[in-house]
Amino acid sequence: MKKRTFFEEILEWMEIEPVDINEDTVFRELKDFDSMAVMSIVAYADEKFEKTLSAEQLQGMNTVRDLMELIGMDYFD
Amino acid sequence: MGCKISRIEYFLPKDVLTNEELERSSGRWSADKIEKKVGIRQRHIVRRDETALDMAYEASIKVLQGYDKNNIDFILLCTQSPDYFLPTSACILQEKLGLRTDIGAFDFNLGCSGYIYGLAAAKGFIHSGVAQTVLLVVSETYSRFIHEKDFSNQAIFGDGSAATIIEKDNEEFIFEFVLGTDGKGWDKLMVPYGGLRHRYDPGAEAIEDESGNLRTPNNLYMNGTEIFNFSIDRVPRLVAQVLQKNQLPMDAIDYFIFHQANRYMTEYLRKKIKIPEEKFFHDMLHTGNTVSATIPIALRETLGQGVVKQGDRILLCGFGVGYSWGAVVIKI
Repeated sequence: MKKRTFFEEILEWMEIEPVDINEDTVFRELKDFDSMAVMSIVAYADEKFEKTLSAEQLQGMNTVRDLMELIGMDYFD
Repeated sequence: MGCKISRIEYFLPKDVLTNEELERSSGRWSADKIEKKVGIRQRHIVRRDETALDMAYEASIKVLQGYDKNNIDFILLCTQSPDYFLPTSACILQEKLGLRTDIGAFDFNLGCSGYIYGLAAAKGFIHSGVAQTVLLVVSETYSRFIHEKDFSNQAIFGDGSAATIIEKDNEEFIFEFVLGTDGKGWDKLMVPYGGLRHRYDPGAEAIEDESGNLRTPNNLYMNGTEIFNFSIDRVPRLVAQVLQKNQLPMDAIDYFIFHQANRYMTEYLRKKIKIPEEKFFHDMLHTGNTVSATIPIALRETLGQGVVKQGDRILLCGFGVGYSWGAVVIKI
């Protein structure tokens, strides 16, 4: 998946207004990021990558890059 | 020989907690956002002096209206918020309702899967000749466990009770069950203190979680991410298993009623399992997640609105705290 597509989709799933994000974006600094947005990330990873993200893994996730690493960098070009 | 659900009624406490109140007290979310995300506009909450047993009584009175209560020869009461450690609430309910004394009665402690387990037990009792007419009551007051500053759980859970009468019949209306348990999820949704492992601690310190909610170990704790993971992994398999056990293809089911956890989760599950929207119950707008009561409330609503008609095949599915899960196909 193209990184740009991933950035757009993850914002869409979290229902956060489109903003410019990149690998270094910190989730908690996004407006409207909350526990429901975390749930959306879990759903997105399951739906698009068949990847289960545990609560423990998500606790250590700060940036968009962290999420990409949890999903697997191989998926992105 | 078989058995059938002949009556269902539910009771909700009078007081409500609205999204506007949550918006004011949390200072975080807008009322609209709460509704959009979890599909809940308000939840009914018990008063301080109102208990699950009181609601169980009210729901039972409603279901017994115009019915010969002497037919009831078993009470099954599902609750995780009992009045007492002992005696069991079902015994007190027998007395309050003035039911016969030559009948069985007991409580069982399950959450979101409780209604399915109650139906399974009722069917078992009827088929084995232990009982002919079972009063199955589910009643829950999670609000009493939730910290006053835990707005996430307050947004999700509502209190409620439902009473169902299951009767012996010449024909079978309650078909095959699939039940399951995985205790490794025991600490993902729980009230840590208050039982005998850890007594209630009035001095317990409130800790703030990542989302800014407060709670002490005396309060309800839910690991939302893990519960979500459990559900999206387990429920699709559960639906496939119960269809297989009933030797039915998916399109032979007229309507699906899942435990109403929160709209985000049920909608995700619906899409994942590929259930058509018009065959899927989605309504917790005015009640919230009432734990074991969501399925019978949904059944009562769909019957009342004519969404479900006589002869329809319905798949019921409950899952959550324990972890515990169950599903069944019934006919109305």
